[in-house]
Amino acid sequence: MENLIFHIDVNSAFLSWEAVYRLRIRGEKTDLRSIPSAVAGDVKKRHGIILARSAPAKEYGVRTGDTINDALKLCPNLVLVDPHYDLYESCSQAFMEILREFSPCVEQYSVDEAFCDMTGAVEPYGSPVAAATLMKDKIHNELGFTVNVGISTNKLLAKMASDFKKPNLVHTLFPHEIEKMWKLPVGDLFFVGPAMKRKLHALGIHTIGELAATDLDVLKSHFKKHGELIYAFANGIDVSTVSDGAPPNKCYGNSTTTPYDVDDGSTAKMVLLSLAEKVCTRLREDSVMVSVVAVSIVDIYFRHSSHQLQLISPTNITNEIYKAACRLFDELWDGFPIRQLGIHTSRIVRGETGKQINLFDMNRYEKLAKLDKTVDMIRERYGEDSIKRAVFLDGPVYHMSGGISPEKRKAKYADGVKSL
Amino acid sequence: MLNMPVDVIATFNVQGKIKPNYIRLEDENHVLHTYKIENIVFSREEKYAGVPVILFCCNIMRGDVVQTIHIKYHVRSHQWVIAER
Repeated sequence: MENLIFHIDVNSAFLSWEAVYRLRIRGEKTDLRSIPSAVAGDVKKRHGIILARSAPAKEYGVRTGDTINDALKLCPNLVLVDPHYDLYESCSQAFMEILREFSPCVEQYSVDEAFCDMTGAVEPYGSPVAAATLMKDKIHNELGFTVNVGISTNKLLAKMASDFKKPNLVHTLFPHEIEKMWKLPVGDLFFVGPAMKRKLHALGIHTIGELAATDLDVLKSHFKKHGELIYAFANGIDVSTVSDGAPPNKCYGNSTTTPYDVDDGSTAKMVLLSLAEKVCTRLREDSVMVSVVAVSIVDIYFRHSSHQLQLISPTNITNEIYKAACRLFDELWDGFPIRQLGIHTSRIVRGETGKQINLFDMNRYEKLAKLDKTVDMIRERYGEDSIKRAVFLDGPVYHMSGGISPEKRKAKYADGVKSL
Repeated sequence: MLNMPVDVIATFNVQGKIKPNYIRLEDENHVLHTYKIENIVFSREEKYAGVPVILFCCNIMRGDVVQTIHIKYHVRSHQWVIAER
């Protein structure tokens, strides 16, 4: 039997979810989806970019990732709303639950998209299009937001299909219909980013069809292995399967844009400590250890730099990662005021492996590990803020930076219903 | 008008079925009035935006006038909310 894969994508997810919440739960009258509107970060905290925008805002040329100032220049009457991550999680979960009613094999690809392996599961509905239409209507009726469904025989083509015309539509892109995709600009192809697009344009390749017709050796010589991948994609070939379990993380990292420019080393190190707290908590939660630590800095001129080192033996102890980060920071920092700091860790070691003790190291790792474990347990039971290092008391730095900060989880409405 | 949280007295039977009995509403002068819920016209479960609520469409007596109201029970937060019709 031939495979049948659906790709389901929520139409401007963050914005639609906020719109449904405001209409149905808070009882507001305006539908954000029908006016120029966008979900955006906090300008004062310098998280000022557009995270999602409505279709009317798109017509003004507002794009995801634009700064709020740029967006307001394009569309002065743009309605801006705060992010609301608790809501996104709740919507995403409900969305996945409905998909699992249709197929036992659902791969959550991101917060707002998923692949469904529908092989042999569409018979009761008559045809794949009928099944997909039912799926999208059920989501619309029960949860209140719209999705696009792409249907094909593999994940790539299904994903390309769901990206065709929006919103609230079902599209097919079976291998015999591949001409539909070949007409599109090459930048629309999955795994072709802006940099790749520029390079392909330089080679005279402008559409996906042209890429598909290019000699594979030419692509290989320019792009190595990635050339093979995009050549296969352009020809509609993708052998990956829908897997319902999430693949294990290959690296763990967190970064944060500070609300003000950091120009002294001690404050920067406090930020690094708070990032180390976050990263290491995540490492210990998944019971993994890491052997490579990297620090990244973005300065006020938006120049990126990073530096990494390999640890003598893998660890997930906060103090140890912090120490490594400080060393890296001292070696890396050129003294320019800092806008963003990050700690990234990789080369994961899974499970309980004995720790290689270093003869010259005077740290008592067993004690530190026990301390970390206790702190994790207290935080799990009584909340993240129930215990923190004394250096963060009354300080300007939140004690666990990176990821989604607590104020981005809850929306700040003046009145009416507040809870989820 | 937004949906507003309200005080409700409800009964929960052994099957887990919920029935609102009394509702307390505030008038323009911020005086609280308790109304008996005369009957429930219909109820249904909703899950818009992934938020589970049970909607009750019910009748109350205001003076000698029957008024139909919509109230929602938020399953996760245990809050009652009155919705504008």
